[in-house]
Amino acid sequence: MKKLRWLVVGCGLLVNLPSAAVDLPAARLIVKPLLCVIDREAGQCSLTFRIRWKSEAAAEYCLNDSALSTPLRCWPSASAGAHDQQREVSEAFIYWLGAPDGTQRAAEVKIDVLRLDSPDRRRERRARHVWDVL
Amino acid sequence: MLRLIMRVTGNVLKIAALCGLASVVHAQADAPDPSTTATAVASAPPPKERSWRIGAAFGYGERTNPLIQSDDIPVLVDVDIAWFGKRWFFDNGDVGYTLFDRSSSTTSLVARVNDDRVFFGKTNTRYVNFAYAGNGFTTGLPPPAAAGGSEDPPPPVEVNPPDRDYAIELGVESLLDGDWGAAELRAFHDVSGTHGGYELSAHYSRRWTVGRLSIAPTLGFSYKSAQMNNYYWGVHADEATDALPEYHAGAGVNFEGGLVTNYYLTRHLRFALSVNYERLADEIAASPLAEDDYVVAYFSGFAWTF
Repeated sequence: MKKLRWLVVGCGLLVNLPSAAVDLPAARLIVKPLLCVIDREAGQCSLTFRIRWKSEAAAEYCLNDSALSTPLRCWPSASAGAHDQQREVSEAFIYWLGAPDGTQRAAEVKIDVLRLDSPDRRRERRARHVWDVL
Repeated sequence: MLRLIMRVTGNVLKIAALCGLASVVHAQADAPDPSTTATAVASAPPPKERSWRIGAAFGYGERTNPLIQSDDIPVLVDVDIAWFGKRWFFDNGDVGYTLFDRSSSTTSLVARVNDDRVFFGKTNTRYVNFAYAGNGFTTGLPPPAAAGGSEDPPPPVEVNPPDRDYAIELGVESLLDGDWGAAELRAFHDVSGTHGGYELSAHYSRRWTVGRLSIAPTLGFSYKSAQMNNYYWGVHADEATDALPEYHAGAGVNFEGGLVTNYYLTRHLRFALSVNYERLADEIAASPLAEDDYVVAYFSGFAWTF
């Protein structure tokens, strides 16, 4: 009977593990820069991202890049962290901070890409009207 | 004919509506799905461009008005509305049909409204005791005939800058680009019977982008026919007075240089600064209707593209 009670408690702990992960404290993620501007000459941006994060309470967090399947870096038990990443950017992607198993996101930041050149050169017609000065 | 026009217009509206719907659907498809982003972003093809381009800039700018007795044109809002289909396009009032789209050039038939008329929209009536002599100069009015050589100054004369109409022009436009930059060649003729003239123009521009900053200088010229210049800048026989002598403007070339700079704050918002200088042809500058031989335009503000 005593063994059965410990088994139930043990199972309860195992079952509760995911719900403990659900309670991952909210975090604030700050990334600079947030925009990559691509023009005709270059097909991509070469940027160094400065990533900073801070949470309400210490926990195990991992920093992820949405284009990669594995985390960039994990912090075992921390309430703040910093990471710099040199990266080539040609498409929008997301930095996100979450649990090590990747099931939850505490914070995320989107890095946008703006393409100035267009395959349709009519879109780059010169402004011609009197009131149109751009 | 009317039925044909209605049918064509109806088709264009249908195409525009479909493309508008497509762009909305496309925008929804662009929204990242957190559960699939990690795999989708890495293999996603380049996003397709939307057919519509809608934007607005708010700030302060001005375009000087070379016409006598007229106000400069303030530019506080610059609205950008354009739609690009496979062949048809609408770009801020210009309507075009693309004839050829090749790797180094795009040639289109374009209908547009001539904008020289805009200078004649902000005029004032004034009483003057001098005569306009072109290039911003004035001379004394001829002595009143009735006075028989009297020493008295002539009485002030009422001067109204004449009215001019908008012209609908049809023409061909070729856009070229490469590593050397971009060029625009245009030839337009009046099809509305307003001035009966034509205009040929060529412009070159090159854009440099460093980080979030882009700088694009432009150089160009426009040759305007005698009919066109004379309609807008000539003083016609029935308009001539002592203060505004008759004048026939001939053909001439306007030269232009400009600079457009943008600093992109986000994907949609940018800070824009532009300046443009146009030197008017001597035939225009010498008109009694012309106070300046140039047009300067500038604008500084924030522009949002949806």
